[in-house]
Amino acid sequence: MRFKGKYHFNYILGLMITILVFLIVVIGFFYTPYDPNQMNAALKNSPPSLTNLFGTDNFGRDILSRVMIGARTTYFIAIAIVLIGALLGTIVGALTGYYGGWFDEALMRLNDVLTSFPSILLALVFVSVFGPGTYNIVFALGIIFVPSYARVVRSEFIVLKERDFVKNAKLMGAKSFRIMFIHILPNTKKVLIPALLIGFNNAVLAEAGLSYLGLGVQPPQASLGRMLSEAQGYMLNSPWCAIAPGLMITLTVLGFSLISGGMANE
Amino acid sequence: MNNESLLNIENLSVGFAKGRKMNTVLNQISLELKKGEILGIVGESGSGKSMTALSVMGLLPENAKILSGAIHFLGKNLLTIGEKNLRKLRGSEISMVFQDSMTSFNPLLTIGAQVEEMLRLHTKYSKEEYKSLTIEALKEVGLPNADEIYYKYPHQLSGGMRQRAMIAMAMIAGPKLVIADEPTTALDVTTQNKILKLLKDINEKHGTSIILISHDLRVIKSICSRTIVMKDGKIVESGLVNEIFAHPKTEYTRQLLAALPMLFSETDRNQNEDEHIEEASVDIKAIKTTKKLSSAEVKKEQKELLIEKEILTEKEILAVKNLNVYYSDKGIALLAKKSRKQVIKDATLVVKQGETLGIVGESGSGKSTLAKAIVGLNKEIEGVITINDLAEIGNERTVSRPQMVFQDSYSSLNPTKKIGWILEEPLKLQTNLRKKERLAKVNEMIEQVGLTAKHLERYPYQLSGGQRQRVAIAAALIVNPKLVILDEPVSSLDVTIQAQILALLKDLQKKYNLTYVFISHDLNVIYQICNRVCVIYQGEIIEMNDVRELFNRPQHEYTKELLKSAMVDLGA
Repeated sequence: MRFKGKYHFNYILGLMITILVFLIVVIGFFYTPYDPNQMNAALKNSPPSLTNLFGTDNFGRDILSRVMIGARTTYFIAIAIVLIGALLGTIVGALTGYYGGWFDEALMRLNDVLTSFPSILLALVFVSVFGPGTYNIVFALGIIFVPSYARVVRSEFIVLKERDFVKNAKLMGAKSFRIMFIHILPNTKKVLIPALLIGFNNAVLAEAGLSYLGLGVQPPQASLGRMLSEAQGYMLNSPWCAIAPGLMITLTVLGFSLISGGMANE
Repeated sequence: MNNESLLNIENLSVGFAKGRKMNTVLNQISLELKKGEILGIVGESGSGKSMTALSVMGLLPENAKILSGAIHFLGKNLLTIGEKNLRKLRGSEISMVFQDSMTSFNPLLTIGAQVEEMLRLHTKYSKEEYKSLTIEALKEVGLPNADEIYYKYPHQLSGGMRQRAMIAMAMIAGPKLVIADEPTTALDVTTQNKILKLLKDINEKHGTSIILISHDLRVIKSICSRTIVMKDGKIVESGLVNEIFAHPKTEYTRQLLAALPMLFSETDRNQNEDEHIEEASVDIKAIKTTKKLSSAEVKKEQKELLIEKEILTEKEILAVKNLNVYYSDKGIALLAKKSRKQVIKDATLVVKQGETLGIVGESGSGKSTLAKAIVGLNKEIEGVITINDLAEIGNERTVSRPQMVFQDSYSSLNPTKKIGWILEEPLKLQTNLRKKERLAKVNEMIEQVGLTAKHLERYPYQLSGGQRQRVAIAAALIVNPKLVILDEPVSSLDVTIQAQILALLKDLQKKYNLTYVFISHDLNVIYQICNRVCVIYQGEIIEMNDVRELFNRPQHEYTKELLKSAMVDLGA
């Protein structure tokens, strides 16, 4: 299904959801209805009302305010993770794909080792060595994301390096690094951009997962995963504590998935 | 021949919906095919040849719409009988042979199973009968060891053998009509002739009517009795092949015929040389008036004059001595042993300043490998390649590195960059020119190859194949190389465009005093543009001579066969 003949319908829908979600986060920079960390014993676990749109948690903190701030933390972490992963992954993928040989073999086997462990388990090992905390989580997950990008970029490079325009560039006297990053790399954008979007989704989920386990963002700082974890004990009598952050995560992931799906269909 | 009509297309129009507009690809097509006739459909790519075939088969793309008309096959209108009845006709009454036999076969099934499938769909026999009938069909299309081929997979056969198997598949259910869509385009000349002959034999033996679709007039002429010429979805001309060749009625057909390199035509060659000779014309006139010479003697005198004038100098620009080129297959496993395959065996050749050396051979003969070794893209070589630094020849700074123009301009131009960037890049890498000077050079070059500055802002996919090849030529010439390797530069282009590109190459050669190494499998193209030719067969240079000498008095058996098959091509 196409919208105005130019973009895929999914792409437009995804874009709208993503803009909505980001708008909430951006507004959080300037304005939140309440101080997200201010406790209020009188309003403990109160359901959604006109004063607290999404209700309050077990410390009486306003959930809407905390979602606005928490989503920011989660997004920051996710973007940082994807940047580290994509940057290192692109470099590794470009080098291995372009040069091949034993260098490729060695790095790709290392890649296999990294991918053969569940990523949460690896992150746990990381955190238990370096200690919990936001930066350690970013670093750990960033490294864990490297193989997926390296693989995508490498396979594209292997195909593209055989194309005649690369041979032509060699004939012109272009150096290997120029060929790799100026001539070949822009040609990988068709697969790299959707991979970045999906990676962002995975990073949001991974952060939520680790924070849920209590390894990521430390209290009282809010993040979507942290909030879910805190809401766990009160699921039955005050479900709104979990619904708001859960909805935010769902919308984010849905929006980005739709965009990348729509792009792939272009 | 039977005069009964088999297929009758009346005023057929087909279009694609594009937004609210209808993009018409077939416009009021009418044609008639008699029983036992071979009808040719000729036209350039995009002329609607294949669409005509697909609409007969009922295999048009989903978004195509039939706007008007009727297709009568043995009295039934194929457009109204419905999918179920159409399916019964496909294969048993009407079948098709496609251009690319590699993609038309399922790579995971054996040839036997796939040919047999056609029979299974339309008949009921026992398992053994199916097998024996299939093997018989494979034998009939001239496949040796049909029993073995029955069990082979598509990739284990050569292109020619696959195309034969494909014809066997089309013929096995005994159809009355076979539509062959560019059946020989992907094949070498020698194989081409054999396949065309096979089609003709089948036509004579079984009385099967054939519609042969091709962009190549020579193919059409070799086996068709009647042909129609299509352009932009319309039939522009139809009639007997011989008549169309002798008296083309429309401008377009004339263009097609003019672009078609007549078999080693002397006019083409003479034109080529006359251009050089013109420059020495004053002296020639002097000769003509003082002595009365036969034309052959005049030619000889002229040539000597040219040499004196150093238009065709004897200076060597490239010398290749005892060159061996290898390809090593890297094993998949980490410690797998490398296996080395020799592609070029002991090649020795010399290219002189200002000449065009043709390298001719079939696909897989090692032509491209040789070219890549010369420009330095292939590192696994033994032997000596000397490229003379001719920096002192011209006044401008010249680059001794030879440049190359590839066959497939879609692959040789970076799809993510604009044409302007693509042309500027070699200047950035090889010269110290400033931005402004580079842009001026780019603008100058794009006009030299017959494009305009507005093309600089486009991406390669926004240009046609011919325009892209012009850009590729500009990108190669922009750094002032003296030696340019042209690897099948016109093979993927339509004939009229081919002629334009060849003319451009000749023009530029004169203007910049270039030396070409011209690789092609097409003898006609070679004959038009080259001074000397070397024939390469299975990695060895088997013959090298002056172009006329070689074409008139071939020494090696293989060269003779090559030339013979090119002749048959024209029906000569």
